[in-house]
Amino acid sequence: MLTHSIPQFQGFQIKAAYFEDVKNGELLRQQVASMPFAMIDAACICSLEQLFCAVHKALLEYTYNRLRTKNLNSECILSLSPTSNIGEAFKRFGIKETTTNIICLAITEGKESGVIEGTEHVLFQGVEGEEIELSDGTLGSRADVEIIKKVRLNRAT
Amino acid sequence: MSQEVIDQIVKYLTPQVPITPISQGAEAVVFLTNVHPYDIGRSYPDAKYIIKYRPPKKYRHPSIDRALTKHRTLSESRILAKLSQIPELHVPRLIACDPYNGCIWIEYLGENLPNNCGFSNLKNYLWMNADDPYNADVEKTLVKVGQQIGQLHWQDYCHGDLTTSNVVLSRRGGEWEPFLIDFGLGSASTLVEDKGVDLYVLERAIISTHSRFADKYNMWIMQGFKDVFGQHGKVGDKKLKDTLKRFEEVRLRGRKRSMLG
Ligand SMILES: Nc1ncnc2c1ncn2[C@@H]1O[C@H](COP(=O)(O)O)[C@@H](O)[C@H]1O
Repeated sequence: MLTHSIPQFQGFQIKAAYFEDVKNGELLRQQVASMPFAMIDAACICSLEQLFCAVHKALLEYTYNRLRTKNLNSECILSLSPTSNIGEAFKRFGIKETTTNIICLAITEGKESGVIEGTEHVLFQGVEGEEIELSDGTLGSRADVEIIKKVRLNRAT
Repeated sequence: MSQEVIDQIVKYLTPQVPITPISQGAEAVVFLTNVHPYDIGRSYPDAKYIIKYRPPKKYRHPSIDRALTKHRTLSESRILAKLSQIPELHVPRLIACDPYNGCIWIEYLGENLPNNCGFSNLKNYLWMNADDPYNADVEKTLVKVGQQIGQLHWQDYCHGDLTTSNVVLSRRGGEWEPFLIDFGLGSASTLVEDKGVDLYVLERAIISTHSRFADKYNMWIMQGFKDVFGQHGKVGDKKLKDTLKRFEEVRLRGRKRSMLG
């Protein structure tokens, strides 16, 4: 699991992990709304920069404007999208029933409401897959470049 | 730069993001930082990022001020993001945008020129070369500047404030590559008028700071500009002709009227 923080938003803790060969995608797909973290289709993510850019954007919206989705975690999925269409964002960047590579992402505010010390390992417990290092290497080699190009170019025109 | 503006931005950025002011314009203040807004791996002592901040204006009603700042910050960010996707165009990458606080983070470009010649914008670069004003490096660089403007106009964008300070040279493999910066007045535009004005503003900038060499410099720039349109067959030729015709008209009447209309 990767622990990250955003310089401007030290009051928030960001935890993220990469799961490969996830077996229970169908079940997870049904539970997305009740999970205390976001589940992102890893095929759409090619770098940590891309992932944390969305986290930064979500924190800006939360702090200085308003969330357009239910919580900070889901807001990150919307922030990954080049458009402001929420349904489209979840369809594209959220997990599908067949998704097997999943990035789990949890943002917590402050110490109190955050993950209780020593329980980090159970945070993403419901995901039945093999956790591998969340790094630029992992993301870069497993991303679906065609999908990413398509999303990017649709916006340019 | 007023202490009040500095205090505002320091409070906003928090001490986690140390800043050094480098420029103050009418609308925005520009700072340098070594901290990447969200990618920890890209923050290190020698890293450089630009933060462009539009402070609130006291003389405007707060809600109008917020709306204007948001609009301008988003507009500059959108245009940078669009232009970055055009492979032929060189502009700094947009890293982050906070329209609510009037703040954008952009890739830092350029370097300090040798012999205390200052930051590597086109203006300082031409001064640096004043002893040997027509050397091959200058020619090559100016042709490339013209190509960048040609690409911008060919894609139907205009810069809006094309001065020699807004062309930054970045050294890539022993050659200077011109990057266009500051799209605060930039726009998507199909109007030959906007393009004619861009060309005129740059021509004036060259004439006023490098008058003795201006004819040749402007010729090289226009050579690069024409190159781009020349690559696009009949359509390119037609667009070039229309743009040059308007450039001529703008030059004849001076910039003033276009600024009113
Ligand atoms: N991306 C950049 N890289 C390096 N310097 C920059 C950049 N953007 C702005 N500056 C500097 O800040 C000044 C004012 O920026 P601007 O307000 O965008 O025109 C410029 O003239 C440059 O000296």
